[in-house]
Amino acid sequence: MKVIHYWILFACLLLLSSCSQNQQVKDSQLTLMKTTNPSPIMTVKNESKSQVKEIEQDVSAIPELYDVAVIKGKKDTLVVYKVKHLSRFRMKKIEKDINKMLEEKYPNDNFTISSDYKIFLEAVRLEERMKSAKFSHQRAEKRFNDIVKMTKEMK
Amino acid sequence: MANSKQKNMTLQQRKYQQLQQKHEIKRPVLKNCIKAFFVGGIICVVGQAISYFYIYFFDFTEQSVGNPTVATMVFLSMLLTGFGIYDRLGQFAGAGSAVPVTGFGNAVISACIEHRTEGFVLGVGGNMFKLAGSVVLFGVFSAFVVALIKTLLVMWGVL
Repeated sequence: MKVIHYWILFACLLLLSSCSQNQQVKDSQLTLMKTTNPSPIMTVKNESKSQVKEIEQDVSAIPELYDVAVIKGKKDTLVVYKVKHLSRFRMKKIEKDINKMLEEKYPNDNFTISSDYKIFLEAVRLEERMKSAKFSHQRAEKRFNDIVKMTKEMK
Repeated sequence: MANSKQKNMTLQQRKYQQLQQKHEIKRPVLKNCIKAFFVGGIICVVGQAISYFYIYFFDFTEQSVGNPTVATMVFLSMLLTGFGIYDRLGQFAGAGSAVPVTGFGNAVISACIEHRTEGFVLGVGGNMFKLAGSVVLFGVFSAFVVALIKTLLVMWGVL
């Protein structure tokens, strides 16, 4: 009986290891487990990226955070971040502080802020999709609006 | 044993007590704690993996993923209890397997198995929540109390 158990375990390990052969690992596949630092993106065509980069740098400078994704759409700017483990007790205060800081520094922008892993994952997935030429800016804007909607539904 | 009872004992009974205490096997508290810590931790890791699975493959956010994860964990522990695996785990880890939410599934199914000879309605149906009933009752009651306190704090502007 024990021999059968070992065979099943061996078969499982073999299957699992064969699944990872010759496959390129995307950032989004590991984003829940490691720091990915996705580059800031814009769904609007032909606009300067400098402001989005600046926003990312400002938010990354906060010591309690360790992974930041920024997406700028037509109307909204989505800022998603991961909070360090021991700082997660003060999540609401951190969110409030970030919101205040961004609204003071960029009064003309409308910010949506989230620390949810799902939103972060979707932001990374959107960034990856936008790298391909097939993915149009219109589709990106639509997906971005869906993510913002999902973020607002949680609050 | 209470002091009043010890006073009423005869000399022979006291001697017997002393002899019994001498030969009594001491509970390995530290060993039990370590076992419970690791098995409970492994169960939590499985739960975390399941919640990541739901976040990754379905439209669940970090806030809403709790419900399907708990349901899956309880279902898995129910299956394992039915197969007789969770009982062995319980014997090995004690509180490590009883305190996580999987212990709830184990409590429901073990009561069902115990009373299945008495029939499906009065046996299984009637005794299903014999052990887990108290968990449901105190869980619902404490949730009510916490919700009441939060509502009052929100009304008074504290939160």
